[in-house]
Amino acid sequence: MSGGSKIRIVVLGGGTAGWMSASALAKLLGPRVTVTLIESEDIGIVGVGEATLPHIRGFVERLGIDEADFMRATHATYKLGIDFRDFGRIGESYIHPFGTFGEKVAGVPFHHYWLELAARGMAGPIGDYSLAVEAAKANRFAPPAEDDSLRSTYGYAYQFDATLFGPYLRDFALPLGVTRIEGLVTEVRQDAESGDVTALKLADGREIAGDIFVDCSGFRSLMLGATLGEDWEDWSHWLPCDRAAAMPTAHVDQEIAPYTTAVAMPAGWRWRIPLQHRMGNGYVFASAFLSEDEACEAIRAAASGDRLAEPRVLRFRPGRRRRSWSRNVVGVGLASGFLEPLESTSLYLAQIAITYLIELFPTGGRIDARDRDEFNRLIDMEYDRIRDFLILHYHATTRDDAPFWDHVRTMTVPDTLERKLELWREAGRVELYSEGLFYDASWIAVYLGQGVVPERHDPRAAIPDPGRMCGAMDALKAAIAGEVAAMPGHRAYLTARAERLAAAP
Amino acid sequence: MSAAREPLRRVAVVGAGQVGVLAAIAIKRASPATDVLVVGTPIDPVAFADHIGTALPFTNRLHDRLGVGEEALVRRAGASHRLAMRYTGWAGPGSIGLTAYGGAVDPKLNSAFAREWGGGAHKAAGGAPAGSVGAALAEAGRFMPPGGEAPSPLAEVDYALRWNAPAYRDLLIGIAAQLGVRHHPGPVSAVQTTLDGGIAAIQLAGSDAVAADLLVDASGTAALLSAAQPDRRWIDWRGALPARSLAVAPPAAPRLDLADTIAFTDAGWCWEQAGRDGVTRFLAVPDDVSDAAVEAALGAPPADRFPIDAGRQEQPWTGNVVAIGDAAARFEPLAGVALDLAHRQIDLLLDLFPGRAIDPRERAEYNRRFALMADGARDWIASHYAAPAAAHRLAALERSPALDRMLDQFARRQRLPITEEATVSTSEWAALLHALGVPAQRSALSLAEGEASGRRAAAALDRKVAAALDAAPPYGAWIAHVLREG
Repeated sequence: MSGGSKIRIVVLGGGTAGWMSASALAKLLGPRVTVTLIESEDIGIVGVGEATLPHIRGFVERLGIDEADFMRATHATYKLGIDFRDFGRIGESYIHPFGTFGEKVAGVPFHHYWLELAARGMAGPIGDYSLAVEAAKANRFAPPAEDDSLRSTYGYAYQFDATLFGPYLRDFALPLGVTRIEGLVTEVRQDAESGDVTALKLADGREIAGDIFVDCSGFRSLMLGATLGEDWEDWSHWLPCDRAAAMPTAHVDQEIAPYTTAVAMPAGWRWRIPLQHRMGNGYVFASAFLSEDEACEAIRAAASGDRLAEPRVLRFRPGRRRRSWSRNVVGVGLASGFLEPLESTSLYLAQIAITYLIELFPTGGRIDARDRDEFNRLIDMEYDRIRDFLILHYHATTRDDAPFWDHVRTMTVPDTLERKLELWREAGRVELYSEGLFYDASWIAVYLGQGVVPERHDPRAAIPDPGRMCGAMDALKAAIAGEVAAMPGHRAYLTARAERLAAAP
Repeated sequence: MSAAREPLRRVAVVGAGQVGVLAAIAIKRASPATDVLVVGTPIDPVAFADHIGTALPFTNRLHDRLGVGEEALVRRAGASHRLAMRYTGWAGPGSIGLTAYGGAVDPKLNSAFAREWGGGAHKAAGGAPAGSVGAALAEAGRFMPPGGEAPSPLAEVDYALRWNAPAYRDLLIGIAAQLGVRHHPGPVSAVQTTLDGGIAAIQLAGSDAVAADLLVDASGTAALLSAAQPDRRWIDWRGALPARSLAVAPPAAPRLDLADTIAFTDAGWCWEQAGRDGVTRFLAVPDDVSDAAVEAALGAPPADRFPIDAGRQEQPWTGNVVAIGDAAARFEPLAGVALDLAHRQIDLLLDLFPGRAIDPRERAEYNRRFALMADGARDWIASHYAAPAAAHRLAALERSPALDRMLDQFARRQRLPITEEATVSTSEWAALLHALGVPAQRSALSLAEGEASGRRAAAALDRKVAAALDAAPPYGAWIAHVLREG
């Protein structure tokens, strides 16, 4: 890594995280680095994350990838949010939208007025006042506006086939000069003095030397975990799900929902992710409460549509490495940590790690410990904030129909979450932060959607005349209905832009 | 189902300076049925937030919300616009850096090319073009606040206002009276504390005890209410902020200028606030500076000199008493930051507006966010001392881990980590450090991008500057026009 010469980056692992890392590093740091990626056809990829968050659009755009091209290659559909069913109570559902509910009036957040009217029986469900929610429920889609109008109050993401995203990025990265090496790593060579990784030795005897190593080896965490021994912080006491049984089915009808569905199950929850030509299904469950065979049976029974494959079981553990960047090894994706896919955060976490790695990339001949610390500080904050938000989905329930739900309902949650919950319960307020993921609208959606209603709300919400407030809320609802009516159906929108569609299998 | 909290029946604001009166307006506007009483206290000349007539751009938004019109400030309180700050002598003798308000600074302009082309620290004779639209307007002396209607090339220019503090306070008092805020001349002769650390009532001269649900301590450094509460704790900032006193020069003749100047001198920083009713110089003096040096730096013997005991309350909201302004935090009042923090506290109180019964979690959230705001303001001021001339002149100062991280990241790659609840945006902070002449290297990302994107950003800025200069009249002509119309 001497001055002037290019910094050699070696990415280990050819899954989604690996090719996301290689593409972004090659595209954005191109003239200053060489990127080599080692993958093996003998190692399968987990392919987590068929559903994404709006941030993925920033990633795709920054790489200069055309949306239509990307959607066609990954069989992508649009996503306006997640429909959560049976979480707070069996029979209840709500959509967590990529969007907001109403607007602040006189400095008071919308939900306080909603609470006031709801208490008087004068308001519909909070989702009635969110354009993203109503468009999702109507199976409609149009891209948001870039002004201050009602049509600017939502965002969107994609639902895509994650097993196609990696290969797509591989085709993107190779012309940028990324070197792909097929091979199994048999040994991680370290500098005797510093402990830095110096090279990866392959089964055929080749040694791939590098200056910075990106560990995308999945749960094996070959460098970060197995070689450097970075401690694992286990979160399974808060997030007990540690398996998923995934199974694709054919579409049952012509509609494609512009949202992902998460249905609570006796020992976890199951997803339904509509892609262009199939439905992704999976049961995320806690092995302490359900066997793998039982889970496979349950997903077979629950998923509608013709089965396109038998259920495949994935195993994972929730938690993260204490440090995601250690010595000259940076973990991206599962090698660094895992949070279950309840809020589609897996690819986001890989993306944010890549973003910070690029922001903090060494300019000179060596890695500065301060940059490593900064990277780890930022990644920890992302993980911790998402963790609390996920725990809320389990903890905020009245379900007592299964031992799993008894456990999560009664468990002790992290202090950071307990504080947020108390502030909400007592005063209807959301703890404010501007860095990290999931802001107030997300918290409000889940709190209210899962029946955590505050005991008291802002005194100012009782000042306006209830009849006038009700009129204003109805007007908002009508404006939303008007916007939704003007949107094309999701499938119609895609069909009219056929360059986004893959050929039917 | 949720129920609305019972509204505040009575709020007593103790302190009738520009901070206390605006707080009273804010509370009365938020809750018209609440009886809001402002109680006068002896004038505390050391309360910088009450006496210095300027804040930061945040205040314009708060004023809008509270019905304090900008036009009225211009017509009746001598208000003028400040688009930028001019930093002289911070990078070394003769250096000049200009930095404008507003988050619309293109990060690409932080590349070496763009910085050398525009913005940043220069020798006085350098004559390089400005690094933002606001700075270009300030240098040209052209501006008018953009109207709300058509898209204007001036729309993204942000600014702070400066005003005549007594006239501004009179204007606020007029608004408060119109809203039905009551006034008692005070003083407070005694307070009745409660067992849980709050204050049940205050005893006013010549009247009965006044009970209140919520009390706002805006009494300046005396912190009259807070002082009666045993649970209060003070966090000392003197290790981070070196000035121990503020010397103020006698007012000089009025001058219009779209930028204020802060010079770094051997006697501390010297801020010259321009204004329509006079120009004031403030000198923030560290220990071990002779009176002669103070006089030399100020250009005149000081008319006043006030001590600065930098620090903040650990929990400004304790029991049912919220301390704001100098009662909550004291520090070098650099270019509007003192009143900015007080106004952010008022805004925060509106965000977490309490009912009759104070909720301890809400109070904790207020104190959590206040701590972030106040520490951010402290770090903003402290970051000025990272300038080469200041670092050379003063012994090493304590730095919070957040500031340490920021300065290190800036020096090595011009990256500014986010500061939650900060007084300024990260791009404004980066612009400040450039203007101060803090040396900074380029990031790997910027080096990989090469010069093209910086050149494009600079060319785009060039076009914006030309359009803005075209749209803006000479500032003096605009002021004269407004005053004529009035």
